[in-house]
Amino acid sequence: MAFVLLAIVVAGPWLAPYPAELTSPQSLAGPSAEHLLGTDSIGRDVLSRMIIGGRATLSITVIAVVLALLIGAILGLLAGYLGGAVDQAIMRVLDVLFAFPAFLLAVAVVAALGPTIPNLILTIAIVYTPSMARVVRGPVLSVKRWDHVEAARSVGLSEFRIATRHILPMVVSPILVETSLMLSRAIFTITALSFLGLGPPPPDPNWGGELSSGRQFMELAPMNVIAPAAAIVFATLTFIVLANGLRDRFDVAGQR
Amino acid sequence: MRRLVLVRLAWAIPILFGVSIVSFLLVRALPGDFAEQVAGTMPGATPEMLDQQRKNLGLDGPIWQQYWSWLTSAFGGDLGTSFATNRPVTTELFGRLAVTAELTLIAAILALLLGGTTGLISARLRGKAEWIVRGLNGFLVAVPNFVVATLIVLLAGLYLPQLSVFGFTPISEDLLANIGSLLLPALSLALAISATISENTRAAVLEVSSQDFVMVARAKGLRRGNILRRYLIKNSMTPVITVAGLEYASLLGGSIVVESIFNIPGMGQLLFDSVTSRDYPVIQGIVLLVAVVVVLVNVAVDIAYARVDARVSYE
Repeated sequence: MAFVLLAIVVAGPWLAPYPAELTSPQSLAGPSAEHLLGTDSIGRDVLSRMIIGGRATLSITVIAVVLALLIGAILGLLAGYLGGAVDQAIMRVLDVLFAFPAFLLAVAVVAALGPTIPNLILTIAIVYTPSMARVVRGPVLSVKRWDHVEAARSVGLSEFRIATRHILPMVVSPILVETSLMLSRAIFTITALSFLGLGPPPPDPNWGGELSSGRQFMELAPMNVIAPAAAIVFATLTFIVLANGLRDRFDVAGQR
Repeated sequence: MRRLVLVRLAWAIPILFGVSIVSFLLVRALPGDFAEQVAGTMPGATPEMLDQQRKNLGLDGPIWQQYWSWLTSAFGGDLGTSFATNRPVTTELFGRLAVTAELTLIAAILALLLGGTTGLISARLRGKAEWIVRGLNGFLVAVPNFVVATLIVLLAGLYLPQLSVFGFTPISEDLLANIGSLLLPALSLALAISATISENTRAAVLEVSSQDFVMVARAKGLRRGNILRRYLIKNSMTPVITVAGLEYASLLGGSIVVESIFNIPGMGQLLFDSVTSRDYPVIQGIVLLVAVVVVLVNVAVDIAYARVDARVSYE
């Protein structure tokens, strides 16, 4: 499953049978040999728009989550390792951010910044940084009391080196699990934003936008809705399965 | 008990302060000047009018002073005036809040009923039923609520064209019709959450079943129904309540999209409209209000937690 998504991101434009903007005389056609998933209201090939739109949706998701991962991991590491006042300060700020439903925060931030691709990436990164920080902080708190950290300190290694070389590697597995879970949630946020018209600007396709615009004639051409719906579910499911696989592999307890 | 309530409320106060700062900054950090935004709605504004506007809005002082005056008037129930309708934001909000509260409440009840029953079934029956439920749960968590909503609308349009899915009946008109009109949107919100609740119920019931007091009850020869009701369900409630409370925030978030799909005049739809028309005071009001609701729900969940499980205490 993950390979299908990867192929869409890497080779999308070459995989798609037609360019996303190419219109054909038959609009709202059902599936046929020419157009495997039919065409939309102005005769564009649905399959091609799915593949090219998936590229936009997935790359925004992945870049945003990587950004959230970096910031969140740094904050979590700082909070967990330094403890005390730093920890208190960071965690209180995160508590505040947790009070906002993720999607509400996303809508409000996009509304404030304006829906461009960089802003969307930034928004999703902001929304998911707190949970990453929290996930990193937990294990750091216990790892920093382990013997090898004590040993590293007694040898006189710098704090920075201890934190990055001796603590960070020990908390990689919960980070990986959380990252793939976060991907599944971020794909919800970006597609829902696009669905509301707050996604990447048109006319470039993306899954949420296609789902929304497909609704107009969905009784005539159900494929216009079913295809993006299936794509979104497929991607979400992939990331969840990935998370579960990683969790079993690393034996991370389902703690938050 | 009273002590517990006080402790939790004391915890909530700094969070609420932070929430108000974020809501304030979210809008004030906008590119451009708040006064220009306001004046943008009045044609032919001159620089002098802008200055006057800044004075009126209290925008000429330092930022912390602005925040303080915004906060104190928010406490007095004044959240500013909507750009779009020129009515007070509070007036705009409260009717909408009631609709959204009702929608999310129905969704929460549906999710608890669906998730609770399926979780109990999969834990008690095991075997095939368990795998069907768990497979379904695994799939449902991956289906976003707006996808469910769109598919429900599609299916209704294809197979039940006489059913009006979009109609919303106000509660003042007809209570039953009102609940009926919220049922499908609530279901779209509830499905993914019911899957989470179902999994958690299953885990909780399995854990409780293996504990000594259940075995003792069984050894005493109590009837199965009795054991189920008096021992299992009651003791499995704690984790389930927590999850339900945590998921309430996501219900509120999800209502934004679902309300605009089903055309329900709730807070989500108002937020969507305000974002489209750049009605910043309303956006600010909604963000603040929803976050306050989420914090209070969390406090309520913690208190409910302690009521159900006597072992929980906060010292």
